[in-house]
Amino acid sequence: MFIEVSFVALNMVEIAVLLKQVPDTNAKIAILGGRVDESAVTSWVTSPYDEYALEAALQHIEAAGGSITAITLGPDRADKVLKDAAALGVTKLVRIWGDGWEDLDSNQVQFALVDAVRASGAELVYCGKQSADRNQGSTGPGVAEMLGAACVVEVSEFDASSSSYVRPASSGSEKVTVSSPAVITFSKTESDLRRPNVRGIMMSKKAQIDLVSSDVGSSQVNFNGDSSPAEKPPGKTFQGSDCIPEVVGLLRDEAKVL
Amino acid sequence: MSQTSCRLFKGEDMVYEALDFYDVDSQLSEEEIMVRDMVRDWVDAEVLPKIEHACRDGVFPDEWRVALGEMGVLGAPLDGYGCPGLSYVAYGVICRELERGDSGLRSFASVQGSLAMYPIWDFGSEEQKNKYLPKMASGDLIGCFGLTEPDYGSNPGGMITKAEDKGDHYILNGAKMWITNGTISDLAIVWAKLDGVIRGFIVETGDEGYSAPEMKGKHSLKASVTSELVFQDCKIPKDRILPGVKGLKGPFSCLNNARYGISWGALGAAQACFHSAKEYTLSRIQFDVPIASYQLIQNKLAWMLREITKGQLLALELGKKKDDGSWIPEHISLAKMNNVDIALEIARMARDMHGANGILDEYCIMRHMANLESVKTYEGTHDIHNLILGRHITGIQSFTRSE
Amino acid sequence: MEITIIAETQENNLHSVTRQLVGAATSLGASPTILCANGIGADEAAGISGVGKVVSVNGDCFTTFDGGAWATAFDAAAGEGVIMGAATAQGRDVVSRIAARRGIPVVQDVVALSEGIKMTHPIYSGKAMQDVTVAGDCAMTLRANIFSAADDGGSAESSIVQQSGDVKIAVQEAIAKASERLDVTDADIIISGGRGMGGPENFDKLYSIADGLGAAVGASRAAVDAWDEIPHNMQVGQTGKTVNPSLYIAVGISGAIQHLAGMRTSKFIVAINKDPEAPIFKIADYGIVSTWEEALPVLASEIANLQ
Repeated sequence: MFIEVSFVALNMVEIAVLLKQVPDTNAKIAILGGRVDESAVTSWVTSPYDEYALEAALQHIEAAGGSITAITLGPDRADKVLKDAAALGVTKLVRIWGDGWEDLDSNQVQFALVDAVRASGAELVYCGKQSADRNQGSTGPGVAEMLGAACVVEVSEFDASSSSYVRPASSGSEKVTVSSPAVITFSKTESDLRRPNVRGIMMSKKAQIDLVSSDVGSSQVNFNGDSSPAEKPPGKTFQGSDCIPEVVGLLRDEAKVL
Repeated sequence: MSQTSCRLFKGEDMVYEALDFYDVDSQLSEEEIMVRDMVRDWVDAEVLPKIEHACRDGVFPDEWRVALGEMGVLGAPLDGYGCPGLSYVAYGVICRELERGDSGLRSFASVQGSLAMYPIWDFGSEEQKNKYLPKMASGDLIGCFGLTEPDYGSNPGGMITKAEDKGDHYILNGAKMWITNGTISDLAIVWAKLDGVIRGFIVETGDEGYSAPEMKGKHSLKASVTSELVFQDCKIPKDRILPGVKGLKGPFSCLNNARYGISWGALGAAQACFHSAKEYTLSRIQFDVPIASYQLIQNKLAWMLREITKGQLLALELGKKKDDGSWIPEHISLAKMNNVDIALEIARMARDMHGANGILDEYCIMRHMANLESVKTYEGTHDIHNLILGRHITGIQSFTRSE
Repeated sequence: MEITIIAETQENNLHSVTRQLVGAATSLGASPTILCANGIGADEAAGISGVGKVVSVNGDCFTTFDGGAWATAFDAAAGEGVIMGAATAQGRDVVSRIAARRGIPVVQDVVALSEGIKMTHPIYSGKAMQDVTVAGDCAMTLRANIFSAADDGGSAESSIVQQSGDVKIAVQEAIAKASERLDVTDADIIISGGRGMGGPENFDKLYSIADGLGAAVGASRAAVDAWDEIPHNMQVGQTGKTVNPSLYIAVGISGAIQHLAGMRTSKFIVAINKDPEAPIFKIADYGIVSTWEEALPVLASEIANLQ
């Protein structure tokens, strides 16, 4: 008697998801001693765009098979983003940190992340289009460059079966495919983010976090300090619709919101 | 006009920041904090946007049952048979976060976990546990708890619902009242006298002679289903009796757990009211300044802070006692009574601070206030808990005139 | 100091932000070199005052956007020193890849720049600003509409180089702009109507302005309660959505405290109301005392002129 056991797994993928811990985006940001006062932050969360990246990665391996390595760069408290990912089913967790790493420049961050991505064996890297704290958007493309990989930025839709991504284009958007290895940076997608459950939380308790470090050299950027944004000028009132051209001009030139 | 913009609230969003003045939650384990955040996020995303409509329509949205099952929080402190196996502290935290949404939502979870799952888990047969508990933990089966009767509330021992042994089956006759989840339940844990002794029975929806009409017209717990249970020669198989308990100890064991959850839950309602009162009074301008700058308002906010903080410490200490087994029922009476009492007072005070706006369903406070009126009465009235403590202090029971 | 600017283009022309990049570069005392992909905008670039050189970087790769390929081509054509681009999605991508190739730091979305090189950029979505200094070579992107644009009046020399890179991204399908309405919680600009709009049919005026701005249309509870055509998911306020856009335009909304609760943290608030005593004016940055019937047509045409 011969039983054929066939396991069909198309395009099994190894995905590294880069997750950053940031203050809750609704939190008030206070300045203390010329820097943002992290000790005043009461709630730390996974950067929102990174959550969409993680959701896409989970959907991708559900469709294709494979596994996810969640990677974060941050101090001890950043373990929480990995535990939260573990509660959603991610089994490989890596945190990168080193002494005096509070103010890394873009190159140092990318270098450390690339080391961890290489070690994970991932051929796909998913991350948010930018972090909710520094808002830079350099990490995805920079990591891609160092990996010699392609990078699709600001992806808003993702199709696991065809491995295609929708990104913004001058006239709307466009669906693209990309050769592997690749880095994909996600903006908000249509996917509902999955919620953890108690079973997942119990599992996450057992999940091991690998703590690694890298020799990232010295920073080429001097962080002089942070400040509060300029106070807005007092409100102005205008009489009648004749003033609207002036208001629109102010919105463009003074408020810079148009 | 060209006056200075009022920027009193710059940068502060409407986001819920849980009041935790003494950093009580820092004593929670990593797992308990993850459970807290899971439930809190769900309440923000799925409950708060829908609760006012649920109240207007007088329904408990079925999707909440599904979500509670998917999150795996039903029967939180029970272990095995598909149950979560969390700590009692975690169960308390879950109740607190659910009741921050609505007392009716927390009531659903309390009844399912403490009043319906718990007696099966503690007093049920192996077959009963395997049959019911996994599906109750997943939310696929809903349970309710029938103890109180129209004429027997604080005095449940006087119940008249009775069971008769008919050889190969039991016959139940009587009625239960004020039963949360009754109409939407798949099974009821019914306490009835068998040969004069209180026993627990599992009655399934569809059993001959059993009905559960909904009680309408509540001004409180409007998003929760409240029902009567009616037994008219209700015939149930012999294997539906809970073999493991006799007497009032059975229902009281269940109530201890439910009351414990309420002692945490009420704090969630209180914190929601405090949050709303703080936000409102900081943004409401009268006589050119926010009303929060007036001493009368600050006095009220300070009182709320004080009572909530004390209540939080009480609940956490009680939770630790539940987990290490050093609790006595009187500990629970104290916490249930105190925390519901202050929550109701805070809700009333918050209503006052919101002025006329406070009566609108744009704000949570009047809903919480009306809900808490029920919570103060159910699961042992405020006064009955006082009498339980009075008996504990003096050794003299004052419930009855006789004995 | 040597500064190389990656020209930002729009269709087959130079995007106006490119002139602002030149303005910023010259303020640092540089005569920047401008790189134009496939020569797009090269002629116009050569005529901008202060520009040192214009280089048309011609390569096959420039027909599809692939930041990796573009960075390869631009990197080979650019000199040492500072690489400067616009803080658009593509600009950030290309510039950060060139920085990574060169092992130099990149600072994005710069809003203030001075010699040194000192840069200021917003962090935490503008809730704070960060000042940094970079001693050596670096890359940067500048936010649009912050720096003064350089005028015409130059006559820089132009040259052409052949450079390309491997394109690894393939466009499968162009997707036209979705016609569905933006949700208020996703929008950076919101225009909301209240009961002062008179009737739900008048919201069409708001929609046409919103379409021109890429904005979402919101409503007050009074409007949602009054008119079935205005769905609850448009409601901004205590029992609706809490929003935090860059610009919030309230039309015919008096500004009840419940409405303010949902939009008061908007970065800029414009109110249009015929009642000069309406509470909305107390939190408006620009208040316009006018009926919507008079104000909206003017607003629509002024916004159209901006494009």
